[in-house]
Amino acid sequence: MSTAALKAQSMGQPLDRVDGRLKVTGAATYPAEFHPAGLLYGHLVTSRIARGTITAIDSAAAEKAPGVRAVLTHLNAPKLPEPPNAQKAEGIRLEQRVPFSDARISYGGQYVGVVVADTLEQARFAADLLTVSYAAETPALRKEDALETKQPAETNGEKLQFSKGDVEAALKNADFTRVEQTYSTPTETHNPMENSATIATWESPEKLVLYDATQYVKGAQSIVARAFGLKREDVRVICPFVGGAFGCKGPVWPHTLVAAMAARAVGKPVRIELTRAQMFSGTGHRSATSQRVALAASKDGRLQAIRHQSEGFTSPVGKYVEACGIGSTHVLYDAPAIEFGHTIHTVNIGQSSFMRAPGECPGTYAVECAMDELATALALDPLELRMLNNSPNHPTKGIPFSTKFLGDCYKVGAEKFGWGRRQAAPRSMKDGRLLVGWGVATATYPANQWAATVWMQLTADGTALVRCATHDLGTGASTAFTQISADALGLPTAKIKFELGSSDYPFGPVAGGSNSTATVGSAIVLAARALQQKLADLAVANAESTLYRANAREVVVVGPGRLGLVSNPGKSVSYADVLSAAGLPSIDAEGELKEEKNAKSAFQSFGAQFCEVKIDPDLPLVHVTRFVSVMDCGRVINSKLGASQILGGIVMGIGMALEEETHYDPRTGLPVTRNLADYHVPVHADINAIDVTFVGEPDLQFNAMGARGMGEIGNTGTAAAVANAVFHATGRRVRDLPITPDKLL
Amino acid sequence: MNPFTYARAKDAESAVALRRGDAGAKFLGGGTNLIDLMKMGVETPTQLVDINRLPLDKIEELPDGRGVRIGALARNSDAAENPLLRERYPVLREAFLSGASPQLRNLATVGGNLLQRTRCYYFYDPDFPACNKRAPGSGCGALEGYNRVHAILGQSEHCIATHPSDMCVALAVLDASVQVTGPKGSRSISFGEFHRLPGDHPEIETNLAPDELITAVDLPPLPAGARTHYVKMRDRSSYAFALVSVAVVLELRAGTIQSARVALGGVAHKPWRATKAETRLQGVKTGDETALREAAEAELAGAKGYQHNSFKIEMAKRTIVRAIVEAAT
Repeated sequence: MSTAALKAQSMGQPLDRVDGRLKVTGAATYPAEFHPAGLLYGHLVTSRIARGTITAIDSAAAEKAPGVRAVLTHLNAPKLPEPPNAQKAEGIRLEQRVPFSDARISYGGQYVGVVVADTLEQARFAADLLTVSYAAETPALRKEDALETKQPAETNGEKLQFSKGDVEAALKNADFTRVEQTYSTPTETHNPMENSATIATWESPEKLVLYDATQYVKGAQSIVARAFGLKREDVRVICPFVGGAFGCKGPVWPHTLVAAMAARAVGKPVRIELTRAQMFSGTGHRSATSQRVALAASKDGRLQAIRHQSEGFTSPVGKYVEACGIGSTHVLYDAPAIEFGHTIHTVNIGQSSFMRAPGECPGTYAVECAMDELATALALDPLELRMLNNSPNHPTKGIPFSTKFLGDCYKVGAEKFGWGRRQAAPRSMKDGRLLVGWGVATATYPANQWAATVWMQLTADGTALVRCATHDLGTGASTAFTQISADALGLPTAKIKFELGSSDYPFGPVAGGSNSTATVGSAIVLAARALQQKLADLAVANAESTLYRANAREVVVVGPGRLGLVSNPGKSVSYADVLSAAGLPSIDAEGELKEEKNAKSAFQSFGAQFCEVKIDPDLPLVHVTRFVSVMDCGRVINSKLGASQILGGIVMGIGMALEEETHYDPRTGLPVTRNLADYHVPVHADINAIDVTFVGEPDLQFNAMGARGMGEIGNTGTAAAVANAVFHATGRRVRDLPITPDKLL
Repeated sequence: MNPFTYARAKDAESAVALRRGDAGAKFLGGGTNLIDLMKMGVETPTQLVDINRLPLDKIEELPDGRGVRIGALARNSDAAENPLLRERYPVLREAFLSGASPQLRNLATVGGNLLQRTRCYYFYDPDFPACNKRAPGSGCGALEGYNRVHAILGQSEHCIATHPSDMCVALAVLDASVQVTGPKGSRSISFGEFHRLPGDHPEIETNLAPDELITAVDLPPLPAGARTHYVKMRDRSSYAFALVSVAVVLELRAGTIQSARVALGGVAHKPWRATKAETRLQGVKTGDETALREAAEAELAGAKGYQHNSFKIEMAKRTIVRAIVEAAT
């Protein structure tokens, strides 16, 4: 199979979303909006303590309440086997505990029961009547009180503890300039517009259908099948649209298992939709981090040593590592001596998990702030320091990046932003009474390409149907896949119908790690080539065809919907003619992409984030007044949707820098700020001009489109750019996010 | 949400009559706060008496031709754009527009705004065991808990919650009065007497009798040439409750303060009229920031902060100075 570059016709164009009209008219059906006959409503009851044991449950009043069909708790719920600790291709479970398996409480907000009733209101009312008694223990909420502290060896095949060169010696070298500081980030919680939800319908005792808000239909299928002892193909998972996810819908969380359990108990379809408050404990969060970063540089600004020790949290019921070092020091800058490590504390807080750019997001915050402090210590411009340390080689793997246009990101960004007019001294730039600050940071995110299979069917009317069990989280993936399909088949986008979001379709991986465009796109290309090969075989075998007896290997796409000879493109036939000559209404093919490890090149996207803030010195609410982002992500499949991804990431990064923080009550361990009035994310008034530009070239070593993913890189480096701008404006270095007004008083 | 009955009143008299003898009844205005709290299980009325059809949404001149009466059912957004209020009480418009979001302001009524309940996390979420306001005698969850948005003035050991309204801070400096009607007839409550400090009974937030209905808010005329302003400090640019807010009404002569009215929001169980600062401000030149700061210091001298909100003391001082300086220029 050829790995030749795919010629860009539609790719790169700002095509409107193929499902935009459905979404804005409300015609798009999200999982919780399906309505199987006889649908009942479940409401989850959550623990009011974070550590201890349930001593008694009085469900009499709840069971007698109007409309109630069932009350399930650990006392009467069927015991499910614990599914094995899943690997990536087999679904993702981070919280390992099976819901209602025992009386133990390990975190505040843990599910202790579910009430199923005819209406949602009845279920919620009855849930309030359920009386749960506890023997509470003092919860461990801080690292000082951790139940366990570990330094795990690896996560997802990457080493979590790394060392090269003599870091200690370099840090002690008197000729070098050194900075060392601790940076901390708070717990942040995914808050997509669509809350997590599952509708479970048992079509027979052996067949289950789930309408599930998920980033991974195949993963949910696999895990739920094993949990209920079903054949994988007897569990169907449907999710045509996702209303945002940011990672929280990647794993299978307990509510999905509860929905299936409850539906089986009542013999009817059951819907469970989490409340916003439940989203703060039941579907993961970004762990708080504390990161100690030490940098040493020679007087000319070249990095000589980097040390990055990161601490994060996990829960007693599962495993997760917020890999800040892997997301940043692992890949950002080269130096003769590099060391990073990760320490994880187990506390009585719901299971931490991946949230948009896990590791990279808090990791780049810490390292890019430290770089800013190093620039100050060296009396160097912070952009110049980064340019000096821009390396073509992966710093810890010792292999070159396939392509890296970070230097262009810095240059183009500096030009667009007007960086050359920056006055170096803090508090030296003003706009009337307001202090003005300019900050810069590097953005980075790895290029992931995993395994997928795409099925494609070409019909005699010249249209194509393309299917994969992949997902569109609101990113515009359906549109990008339509464009890739169009170019791969040599058809206009209007002739392509791309379908996703069903486990009935061939395997698609989790929509995580910004992999989908590369993975599914590459499988589309393979499927299209297989399909064209079948067409070519038909064409050369047909005595009526102008291509009769031509070498099928020399037959290629020569124009929209036409096959012809490489050597003589004028000699061509239309797809439709080939099919009708063969008497076929349609033809189909599959393309299967396997995950490959490339040991010769490292695939990584980079970018530069430039931020301007204005701050009233007396009443210091930070306003981000301008943001310029320049990204190198290889080929951009859709310039409009691509820019939207970066822009959304920057908005999220501004929220991280200035607003977002999940607080836990020190006694009960419950999240305190578990609603959107108290958990602040940016509002429109917080966001001003954001300018997104792409530079670089297609990364054709990576795949035939030359595209690396871009869903997450936008919120890397952003918080550091804001924090660095705040320092430049005020002379105050705030090292614990978010930078709320009280920290600058 | 608990089951409840619903009745729609035609006029103030029938509204009061419907509630009579039903201790669990509540009037339903815009519902932006009440319905939210019912869903949370914090408010559990047995009956909702819908007053939205009462003819109480007018904003009109008082008979003296100088003051203005705002009907209790006037929506916040309508009040913010009302020409009479805009012209005569610009500070009120500033306060309205800094509160909530346009969608909420379209629904929220002026009467309901007076009765907004605190945004204390421990009050709002019944999963927390302690809240003297929600469950008298259960303790104050915020004292030793997460207390960023809490009070620094006038609080008690039983409650450190704050009143969340922006509008009310402006009404405090406008010397408004609240018109109410009930089984015993109608009466007028001066604004300073309307809300209460928590004391031993944080569950009682106003001096409105349980069966009384707010019908209007009356605004007396401002002194000729008075300068007014509202400044709100919060954690983001919009759609956030005040950390600290300040409303001022100043009478100036040649840059010197003849009289000052100052009220603080976000710092106490009620809109906090800063009488100590007001006294100090008399005769101070608005350009004399040291003297303005001293007046603010005097007001905050008795303030007490907690683990997460001590910053409000300094922020309040700065916001007072800023509001006066900006009002004067």
